[in-house]
Amino acid sequence: MCLAGAQGRAIIGVVPTLELRILIQKVMLAALLASSVTLGAASRPGSAHALPADVASLNPPLLVNRSSRPKTVEVNIVAAPTRLSLMPGKMTEAYAYNGSVPGPTLEVREGDKVIVHFRNDLDEPTTIHWHGIHLPFEADGSPFHPVAPGKSRDYVFTVRPGSAGTYWYHPHPDHRTGFLIAKGLYGGIIVRAADDPLPKSIAEKLLILSDNRLNPDGSIDFPEPRSHHAAVDEENGREGNVLFVSGKVMPTIRIRRGEVQRWRIVNASASRVYRLAIPGHPFMHIGNDGGLFEHPVDAKEIVLGTGERVELLVRGTDKPGERRVLRALPYDRYIPQTRPDDWKTTRDLLTVETTSEPPPAPVLIPAVFRAIPPLDIAKATATRTIVFSQGMINGKKMDMSRVDFTAPLGATEIWAIENVVGMDHPFHLHGFQFQVLDRNGVAEKFRSWKDMVNVPKHETARIIVRYDNYPGKWMFHCHILDHEDHGMMGVLEVK
Amino acid sequence: MRRSNARGSELSLVSLLLIFVVTACTAPAPSLSNGGGMAATRGSEDQLARGRHLVVSTACGDCHGGGSNPAAFGWLDGIRTPEQEFKIGPFTTRARNITPDNATGIGRFSERQIFNSLRYGLRPGETPDVEITSTIPGQGNFPARPKYLAVPMPWPAWRHMPDQDLWAIAAYLKQGVKPSSHRVVDSEGPPDFWASEYTVEKIGPWPLPAYPTANETGR
Repeated sequence: MCLAGAQGRAIIGVVPTLELRILIQKVMLAALLASSVTLGAASRPGSAHALPADVASLNPPLLVNRSSRPKTVEVNIVAAPTRLSLMPGKMTEAYAYNGSVPGPTLEVREGDKVIVHFRNDLDEPTTIHWHGIHLPFEADGSPFHPVAPGKSRDYVFTVRPGSAGTYWYHPHPDHRTGFLIAKGLYGGIIVRAADDPLPKSIAEKLLILSDNRLNPDGSIDFPEPRSHHAAVDEENGREGNVLFVSGKVMPTIRIRRGEVQRWRIVNASASRVYRLAIPGHPFMHIGNDGGLFEHPVDAKEIVLGTGERVELLVRGTDKPGERRVLRALPYDRYIPQTRPDDWKTTRDLLTVETTSEPPPAPVLIPAVFRAIPPLDIAKATATRTIVFSQGMINGKKMDMSRVDFTAPLGATEIWAIENVVGMDHPFHLHGFQFQVLDRNGVAEKFRSWKDMVNVPKHETARIIVRYDNYPGKWMFHCHILDHEDHGMMGVLEVK
Repeated sequence: MRRSNARGSELSLVSLLLIFVVTACTAPAPSLSNGGGMAATRGSEDQLARGRHLVVSTACGDCHGGGSNPAAFGWLDGIRTPEQEFKIGPFTTRARNITPDNATGIGRFSERQIFNSLRYGLRPGETPDVEITSTIPGQGNFPARPKYLAVPMPWPAWRHMPDQDLWAIAAYLKQGVKPSSHRVVDSEGPPDFWASEYTVEKIGPWPLPAYPTANETGR
C-alpha cells in the first residue's frame, strides 16, 4: 500500500470545487455516521467512546477573525478555568483557551498582521508563547513578559513570508509551563502560504497529540511535590495514561479509497516522543516544524519529538470498511534508572477507516514544493557549544537575570548541542528558525526549517541559525516541560 | 600540604605556586565559558603529578580501566567486558569512561563537578557546576534532590581527602589524561540514583567528628 509512484507523484483523488466537496462530504458523513455507529463502536480497538468521534469535528474550532481590514487577523483569546469533559463521561477541572481543549486554531496567511487580544482569567501569571513563529521579542510570550491574573496583553506580529507551516501556542511563564499545559492550555497555529504548491482540494487534518495523567474520576493527576512520583516526573518529564488526538481519545478519521489527506501533526505532549506509523501503510513526509520540504520524502515511520511538527500525506488505499490504526511505537528516550516498565507498549492513537464513498478524481502532488536556501556555513561568526546534561545547560540552571550568550543582530551562528547524559533532550530555540546541519556527524538528509531538534542520549546535533530582524532576549531550552520548568533553559541576547 | 611520591623535593617557590593554584581552585565560582565543563585553572605539573599519584594509589583504574598502570591500554576509559560489570541485585553498575573525551568521557564536566562528585558523591551530569557549601539538601547549593554516583564507587571514603587532593585528582583527570573515545553503556541503577545508600548512618559523617572519639586514644 504505497502513497504514490516514486517519480510522478501522481495521486488519485478529489472533486471539482472545494465548496461542493465539503457539502457532499458533510452529507455523506452524516449518512455514514448514522449507518456505522454500531459497527464502529464495536470494532474499533482501544476506543473509550460510545460513539465514534466525528471526523468533521476532529479539527479544533478556528479563532474568529474580528478584523475587516485586509491582511489583518485580529482575535481574542481568554485563558480561564473551566469544567469540561476530557474523557468521555467524566468531567475535569481544567484550564482552557476560549473554553476548548485544545484551544481554537489560529489560522493566518503569510504577510498577515496578527493582533491577539489576550486576557488572563487564571489565578496565576501566564503568557502565550507562539512556538516557532518569527516575531518581536515583546510578542514572544516568554517568561520575560508575564501577564498577571486579571490582566490583558496584546500580542502583535507580522507573519513572515516563507514561513507557511504548522505551529502551536502555549503558556510559557517561569517554572509553570508544564502545569499550565497539562491543565489544557495549548492550541494549534496554521500559517498558510500565498502559493501553497499542494492542491487545495486535499482535505486537511490538524492532529494535536497530547497525553495527560487522569484519575478515574476524570481529575488531572499531579503528584505530591516531594513524592517519589514527582521525582520521576522531574526526571522523565510527565507522561500521561490517556492519549489524545486534538482532544479526542482514539478518534476515527474517514478516508475514501484513493483520497489523499494532508495531516498536520503537532506533538504538544510534555515529554512523550511519538514514533508514528500506520503499520503496513507508508506515508509521504512533506514538511517539518517550519513548513514544507523542498520535495516529498517517503516514510514508514516518523519520530516526532516533544514540541515538533510534521506534515504528512496519507492516502486511502484499502477497501471500504477496512480500518487501520495510527500507532505510537515504542521509543526509548529514557534514562535507565527511571525508564517506565511499560515503555515497550505500542499505543493506539486513531483509526483510519476507508469509507464506501466513490473514489475522488486524481490529484497531482508536485515533485518539488519550494526552494529552501541553505544558511551559509562560511558566514558563521561563532560556533557555540550547548551541553545538555540532566536538568542543566552548560552546567547551569536557568537564571532570568543572566544572559548566557550575546550575538549581533543579523549574525549567522552554528550551535552544537551535545547531549552528555543517557536520555533524550529536545532542544528548542525561540524566535528564529534554524537548519539542522548534522546529527552525530551524519549530514542531514534533506533541508528544512526547524525550531526543535530532539537530541538523543549521548548524541550531538549541529544547527545553523541566522538572527534576522528582531533583537531581544530569546530562550533556548529543553522542551521536556518538567526540565525547562526546573531550569534547563538559557538566554540568548541578540542586539 | 602533602606531597606526591613522584615529586618529593620541590623548591619552596614551587610549593608557593602549588598553594596559589590550590587556593585559586578552591576559590568560589570560576565562571563557565561557552561550552560547559571547562577547566577553571590550568593545573601545575605538581598538581597533575599529585593527582596521578592519587588516581594510581586509590586504584581508580581497577574499575575504570588500566589497573595501576597509566601506560596500559584503556587507561581510565571504562569497562570493556560484561565480566567487569557490577551486578547488585536487579541493578547493574558499569564503571564509565573518566578520560576527558567530550562525547564518551567526562570532557564536558568541569573540574568543580568532578570535585563535587568525589567530595559529595553527586553525579556530575545531574549536578550544577556550583560551589557547594552544605551537605543538607536544598541548602548551600546542595541539590534538593541529590543524585549520587552508583555503588560501589567508593567516594564515601575518598571524600575525606583534603580539598587539594580532590582538586588534584580532578585536574589530572581533566588535564593530565588524553581523551579516549570509548563508549560505556549507561549504568542501570535504582530510580533514586542510589540515594538510599548514602545516609549518614550508612556512610558516616562528613566532616569527621573531632579527634579523639570514644574509639580513639587521643594521642
